[in-house]
Amino acid sequence: MSEMLSGAEILCRALVDAGGEVIFGYPGGAIMPVYHALPDHPQLRHILVRHEQAAAHAADGYARASGRVGVCVATSGPGATNLVTGLAAAHMDNSPVVAITGQVSRPMIGRDAFQETDIIGITLPITKQNYQVQDVTELADVVADAIAVALSGRPGPVLIDVPKDVQNQKIEYRAPRARARGQSRPLTPGASPGSLEDGVRKAARLIAGADRPLLMVGHGVILAEAYAEVQALAEKTGIPVITTLLGISGFPDGHPLHLGMPGMHGEVHVNRAIQHADVIIGIGLRFDDRVTGNTASFAPQARIIHIDLDRAEIGKNVPVAVGIVGDARDVTRRLVAAVEPRRCERWLEHIRGFVRPRTEAFRGDLSPETILASIYEASHGECTIVTDVGQHQMWVAKLYRYERPNTHITSGGLGAMGFAVPAAMGVHLARPNGTVWAISGDGGFQMNMAEMATMVQEGLPVKMAVFNNGYLGMVRQWQQFFHEKRYSCTPIWSPDYVKLAEAYGIPGYRVKQASELADVVGRVNAEAGPALVEFVIEQEANVYPMIPPGGSLSEPIEAEPAAAAGH
Amino acid sequence: MSASSLSPSAHTVAVLLDDALVTLNRAFGVLRRRNVPIEGLALHPSGTTGVSRLTFVLKADAATADRVAQQFHKMIGVRSVMVLANEDSTTEAKR
Repeated sequence: MSEMLSGAEILCRALVDAGGEVIFGYPGGAIMPVYHALPDHPQLRHILVRHEQAAAHAADGYARASGRVGVCVATSGPGATNLVTGLAAAHMDNSPVVAITGQVSRPMIGRDAFQETDIIGITLPITKQNYQVQDVTELADVVADAIAVALSGRPGPVLIDVPKDVQNQKIEYRAPRARARGQSRPLTPGASPGSLEDGVRKAARLIAGADRPLLMVGHGVILAEAYAEVQALAEKTGIPVITTLLGISGFPDGHPLHLGMPGMHGEVHVNRAIQHADVIIGIGLRFDDRVTGNTASFAPQARIIHIDLDRAEIGKNVPVAVGIVGDARDVTRRLVAAVEPRRCERWLEHIRGFVRPRTEAFRGDLSPETILASIYEASHGECTIVTDVGQHQMWVAKLYRYERPNTHITSGGLGAMGFAVPAAMGVHLARPNGTVWAISGDGGFQMNMAEMATMVQEGLPVKMAVFNNGYLGMVRQWQQFFHEKRYSCTPIWSPDYVKLAEAYGIPGYRVKQASELADVVGRVNAEAGPALVEFVIEQEANVYPMIPPGGSLSEPIEAEPAAAAGH
Repeated sequence: MSASSLSPSAHTVAVLLDDALVTLNRAFGVLRRRNVPIEGLALHPSGTTGVSRLTFVLKADAATADRVAQQFHKMIGVRSVMVLANEDSTTEAKR
């Protein structure tokens, strides 16, 4: 017997059929039929956020932690435009997010109707694909297609705009056709097997002849889950490994071959290694400007082997000697088989000679190292850490010890402040049995701290840490270095975070001395529900070393000796 | 667009893509975002239902033309991309 369903019901059913379990959203006029249908689909857990931006970041966090699509829902107009930052973040960091927006009814489109926005036009450059559903008969196929597009090849966000009258249209339901909408070609162009083999052979030859080879590991390694393959390549060849900001936790930090993070805030020995390398094997990274500094002086002696799923990345930012288009796991596995075993002891010794001891001093001994060590100890190194953007983000990237794959999640490409708190909610829902810490600065935390209410209402036990230095610290640091210490508009007032937590009905703590860390962080980590801890840190601490924007990796700004740090 | 003193050669890029306004919009976005200097642009039916042929001439060197083609290549809704060097582009540039 035929079953008549509304567009809204079809949308819910298609999400359920695709294995959807969680959606992050906020209701409104043009999406009300979907919200009317939701209670009939208890398989879909809806998380009511406090701002649509948080829905998109949470869906992003969910997607990154689970490897499945993260779904967010918003109404037309302001609901849809509020998603934009989250979609841009997902686009820059290749996260498979599916956004569903309500739209005014078809006869009203283009007439500046109430809460009408051309969200398709707005999101074109920050989505992999987007659809405005013109008829309910297309809807199930569009949802299936959107999920497939978001996940396939180089992942990314997809938006589905559904006019309200389409949500109300009724038709006989049929299951979506697999890849129903014509795609006559693979979504990501792959190299032919011949050229792949050829590339691997050439790469193996370059590696065999190299004196100072380096492996640079990016987000592609995490997306492809190529952990074992990359480790096998490093161990078979003895080549030291660098992890980019988004590659962190793609290779164990404690491994003897791991050097650290490169680029603008990379340690001196990591950037020196790049500048002295004669062969660089880059896996799943795009040689972002924050990694390379000035590309004209980047790795001047190195021939670069670039492995990436996206053909458009090969040679886009840096010239390459060998470009291999393919999945990081597949290509690395082939490369492991093709390379001869070797060691790089002299080269490693050479790099060790570049290592500088850290010299900064911190008020109350409350250094980023000691704070992060306390979180590591409290969680036995088993939590997932989601960071925001700024100084704390760099400290976490450099100083937290990541041993488990894909346990570091941050907004790398877009650098969206406000990311950590909502994204951590998504991470918790993807990993309900693990602990998740959202680490923010006092600036970024205040951007999305309203989501504490979401955590309380929905029961999301995120552990929140606020690094409070009373400044928009990274901007203040730039002002110190590049704008004559004119701290224009960077001092930022904070509420009393302990009282704020109390107002939301959750435990809140303040730490001013390193001696308090173990006790407080341990308590926060052990809380059954959400909890907050504020770390009152040195106001004018800097992230060292630093390559000035557009500068060479060879010329870092380094910390003054501790005695001159000033207290 | 005036001929620059560098006189970069011209390249023709031919793209077969879904006959949908949103796909065209996305295609123009690729050009607009990278500020690609376009000399001529044409859109025709390809002969296959639902597929259009977008042809444009860009005044840029081969490397730029190739980068643009790569961006098109990964776009959803694009069926094929072809880059052709214009033989007489040098004469064009001198005029």
